[in-house]
Amino acid sequence: MDKLLILNASPRAPKSNSKRYAQLFANACPAESVCRNVNKNNHAELIGAMEECSDLLFVFPLYADGIPVTLLRLLKDMEETPPQKKPVVSVLINCGFLEPAQNDVAIDMVRLFCAQNGYDFGSVLKIGSGEAILDTPFAAFARAKIKKLALCIAKGKKRTLKVSMPLPKKLFLRASRSYWENYGRKNGVTKEEMSTMRIEGE
Amino acid sequence: MKLVLSDRALDLTPSDRFRFVDLSKLKINNCIGCFGCWTKTPGKCVIRDDATNVYPLIAASDEVIYVSRVKYGGYDVIMKTMLERAIPIQQAFIRLVHGETHHVQRAVAPKRALIVGYGDISKEERELFLRLIARNAHNMNFASHRVLFASEEEAEALVKKEVSAWTNS
Ligand SMILES: Cc1cc2nc3c(=O)[nH]c(=O)nc-3n(C[C@H](O)[C@H](O)[C@H](O)COP(=O)(O)O)c2cc1C
Repeated sequence: MDKLLILNASPRAPKSNSKRYAQLFANACPAESVCRNVNKNNHAELIGAMEECSDLLFVFPLYADGIPVTLLRLLKDMEETPPQKKPVVSVLINCGFLEPAQNDVAIDMVRLFCAQNGYDFGSVLKIGSGEAILDTPFAAFARAKIKKLALCIAKGKKRTLKVSMPLPKKLFLRASRSYWENYGRKNGVTKEEMSTMRIEGE
Repeated sequence: MKLVLSDRALDLTPSDRFRFVDLSKLKINNCIGCFGCWTKTPGKCVIRDDATNVYPLIAASDEVIYVSRVKYGGYDVIMKTMLERAIPIQQAFIRLVHGETHHVQRAVAPKRALIVGYGDISKEERELFLRLIARNAHNMNFASHRVLFASEEEAEALVKKEVSAWTNS
């Protein structure tokens, strides 16, 4: 690997968990890397940047069981106006739920894009409980796997790695409840209000 | 309520038996992941565009037909944008569904869902799309679901046939 382009395709890239994952990755990566956020208007520029890189890492969240629209739009533009030189594509995906396997369909969407468009597919890290893991004592597990991903990509290995909080599901449910209750409390919203069954006030 | 949600125009005669939403005619921005709909104004999206009229219909419907072009084994941009904007109908809180972690639903009717995926779809894409819909079923409160594939030209006739089965029942 000579140079790696990290693309943050979270719809809230500037304030995202993906940003933190991308930063940890860049710190662990032995080769030169640059990180950019994806938005609706910078696809041509990003495709240009791909031409200078041997490897591309997409960092993004699972959205409604698939890739977020932010990434879908970029892939469609990469199909429309492909870079002259195609980098090897790897994936660092995180999801809110506990099970890393909930990310599998989204990963296979990127894999399918690569197969249809002549990109070599590299390595994957799928993170479960990705909304919160970095602010728990389990952050060290996530950091270790991110480092492992960086080394795999640097060596051109094709591996699928995963990490999540090592909690029984019942305990995760409790932990996530207090995580979200705290989130609401900071906005002055009670847990009863958050539990409303009403949609648009109806 | 019955709902046809489509990413393209379809020649359907509206009736009091079902609602038809052509998403291609609406202004719907993408979700920005702010979680306002869970933690600031629960049940309401902070982006006040046309999506705020659509997710209440999704929630209220017990029979749905979603019509979408298939891209990379998933929904294409128009349908995916709407489905991402539908998270106000869930709570932040998590429960177990079939032993897996998923969100608690607000007042969301369990659905019989038909998903019509259209376009020039390879075998690999079909298989992936089927896996996607099986996952959606857990998150979107599908009590049962079917998936049908059609070419772009055939999709309209297929949807019409399914809708007439509703209106004749
Ligand atoms: C619209 C939307 C849809 C989501 N869909 C899922 C999902 O299907 N499964 C899941 O586990 N998490 C889902 N999440 C949670 C995110 O994947 C999770 O919060 C992640 O940490 C966000 O990463 P980011 O900060 O990098 O954007 C969703 C979040 C949003 C806003």
